[in-house]
Amino acid sequence: MSNFKIDTRETSNIHVLDLKGYLDAHTAPELEKAFQSLLDKQKYDIIVNCKDLTYISSAGLGVFMAYIEDVRKNNGDIKLSNMSAKVYNIFDLLGFPLLYDISKEEAEAITKFSSKQK
Amino acid sequence: MAKFKTKLTKTIVITASAVLMVAAFILDVVEKSLSSYGGWLTMLREIVVLTAFLLFYFFIESIWKREQSSAKKFGFALVISLVVIVGAGFLSIIPSSGFDVKNYVLDPLGFDAIVWANVFSVVIGTMSIIILLLIRDIIFSKRKKGTRRNFLSFIALALASALFTFTLRPLESNIVTSLLLGLTVAAIVANSFRLSWIVYLTKREKLFNIVYGFLLLCIFIGFDILMTESIIIGKSVAYHSPSLKSFISSVTLFATVYFGMTFVSTLFHLPTAEAFDRKSSEVSSLHNLSRLVTQVFDFEELVDSVTTMTLEVCEAKSSWLEIMKVSQTPTNTRRLLGGVRSVEEEIETVSRKNISLDDTLAIMNANGESIRKLALESKKAIIVDEVKNDKRTQHLGNLGTKFESIIIVPLVTHDKVIGVLYATKDMSFGFDRDDVEVITAFADQATIAIENSRLIEKSLERERLMREMILAQDMQRKLLPQKLPALAEVDLEALSTPAFEVGGDYYDFTMLDEHHLAILVGDVSGKGVSAAFYMAEMKGIFQSISKIYREPRQFLSQAHAALSSTIDKRSFISLLYTVLDLRTGLMTVARAGHCPLLHVTQHKGVFIKPTGLGLGMGSSEFFERTIAQEQIRLCANDVVVMYTDGVTEAHTKSGDEFGYERLLQVVEKSGNKSAVEVRDAIIMAVDSHMHHESPEDDLTIVVLKWRKD
Repeated sequence: MSNFKIDTRETSNIHVLDLKGYLDAHTAPELEKAFQSLLDKQKYDIIVNCKDLTYISSAGLGVFMAYIEDVRKNNGDIKLSNMSAKVYNIFDLLGFPLLYDISKEEAEAITKFSSKQK
Repeated sequence: MAKFKTKLTKTIVITASAVLMVAAFILDVVEKSLSSYGGWLTMLREIVVLTAFLLFYFFIESIWKREQSSAKKFGFALVISLVVIVGAGFLSIIPSSGFDVKNYVLDPLGFDAIVWANVFSVVIGTMSIIILLLIRDIIFSKRKKGTRRNFLSFIALALASALFTFTLRPLESNIVTSLLLGLTVAAIVANSFRLSWIVYLTKREKLFNIVYGFLLLCIFIGFDILMTESIIIGKSVAYHSPSLKSFISSVTLFATVYFGMTFVSTLFHLPTAEAFDRKSSEVSSLHNLSRLVTQVFDFEELVDSVTTMTLEVCEAKSSWLEIMKVSQTPTNTRRLLGGVRSVEEEIETVSRKNISLDDTLAIMNANGESIRKLALESKKAIIVDEVKNDKRTQHLGNLGTKFESIIIVPLVTHDKVIGVLYATKDMSFGFDRDDVEVITAFADQATIAIENSRLIEKSLERERLMREMILAQDMQRKLLPQKLPALAEVDLEALSTPAFEVGGDYYDFTMLDEHHLAILVGDVSGKGVSAAFYMAEMKGIFQSISKIYREPRQFLSQAHAALSSTIDKRSFISLLYTVLDLRTGLMTVARAGHCPLLHVTQHKGVFIKPTGLGLGMGSSEFFERTIAQEQIRLCANDVVVMYTDGVTEAHTKSGDEFGYERLLQVVEKSGNKSAVEVRDAIIMAVDSHMHHESPEDDLTIVVLKWRKD
């Protein structure tokens, strides 16, 4: 069931998680692990690039909700970007755009972080 | 002899034997008085003597006990022969008139000589019979093909020698007697190699056997000397009955050779005695191991057997077994408690033999340097020959542990250590290579048994969980409305099928008052028991506050507030909530992160999707601000479909989802149909889209058809 993959990158002190594949109850722990390791290193400016994310289940959505509070408390944010229309619909249905900053492009999200950092 | 079984016959036989012996004595006296030797009187006496001993043999045979061990028989032989030889030796010192030897014939010089001759004959004859029977039993204890034949050959030859004396004068011998003697000796030697029983003796028994064998050898050499014609005893018996004397000589010779061979053979077996003892205890222990398999249902009993058998297989002083306890916390909970941690394992002593709890605790607590750690890392058996002088275990010496050598064997299965077995001995260098091999093989068996025991426990546990799940499923089914509200204004139909044992979908109805029907369709994130709990909570909230907060918006805000204190932060409930005014057909719709409502009017469908976060997401104030509500007015034959994502996300293997468009088409096409027909049309469409695969997600559909104009 390894049809899900996360790559972590860093650009100007912003950490980008590239999600790839199918995020469901089986693969959600991997995303949790990735978030947890960033939080352990006190990295709170996080962009999740959903370019290659094909599906997200409610368990996957739950992972974002589990960490957003902690991240924002530390003056950081989890911003989402590059979602396909299908994935956006899933996020949208649950009202994620109301809670999360969702950008079309990763660069947009980076800009938002940079302006905050200044 | 079966025919002498009854007490009466036994009595008759022994009496007859005694009478004949007395008769022989009388005949002796008569002969002496008449001074006639070699005549028919001598022949008669010879027959009387032999008959007496034959009867006496039958008597002894009838009371004979065969069941005793070889060692006991040796003891018995020793006692009997010792008493007889000491007694006979003592009696032979008493001066008697003796015999005059003339021309191979013995002539008693007085009546006292006759008395002694009778006494010696009876006593030594009796002893010979007993010794012969004892040797027979010992030889026959490991009976093989030729055993009986060899033994009977000896008896036959001994009897032949005895009977041949009839043709000769008492002290005379010729070529035939020499030949018979030679053959008898050959038979004796053949019989004396029947010594395999020695191998099976324990070391202790072998030591006794050497002593017994040596003493018996000496005693029977003594008898051989006593039975020669130059000694008074030999003369006496030869006078009384040359044939009896010949038979006794054969038996004592047999006993001498046999006991001599026993002594020598046992002596040679002594160095291997310990090894043999161990091998035999290994065999019995390994045999016991098969018993372990049947003990897998009782873990306590199993580990107890493991330590007990460890003591047996290597003759250890003490033994104990530690088992890794896999943490009982389920993986999921551990994850919630903070990321991915390695599986916490603690070690526990489950069985001890001849060692105190304090001692094992002390060894367990000697962490860091603990020898256990070495075994766990190498996954191989570790032997410490000198506990106090070994670097690895010096700390154990300081603990005042009372052993000199120790072996530590990890129980390894699938490259994972599930436990550690310890055995100690009082002496240094107590465990040799054989011990290591045996105890390792033993540990392997024990590992399998312990693993099996755990697997059985697990499968029992799983069975129990299955029953609980079925129970939960049953309870959950009861949370769904048992029957739909029967209303003139609307045609209602609903269906919910969980994909797994316990699902997360929920729908419910309630009449807020005479004219207002509230309908709720929801989906709890996640599945299984936790989803079922949230669902039960949701039902409670719905049934209790829907009548108080009649506006859908209000209801959702209040439901969020009620839930957010209990719901896990990564869980949420998506809800679609509508209130229908049965008088006007005005339907108020609010949505908390759920799939939009489908409203089809005049074959034209629209998705109604007011904004709203899922229940349990965000703070109460924020949530309240996001919730919007919309109103639609139902016209005659309008169809409203509320559903969960199990419908729209139902997908083929290649990932093609059923989607909103297909749903819309199906419902638009079935505009004239009843609610149940619409519902079934949707289900059939979903099913055929999935090529009749079983769905991955729960699936819920509520269809409402407005009947009024």
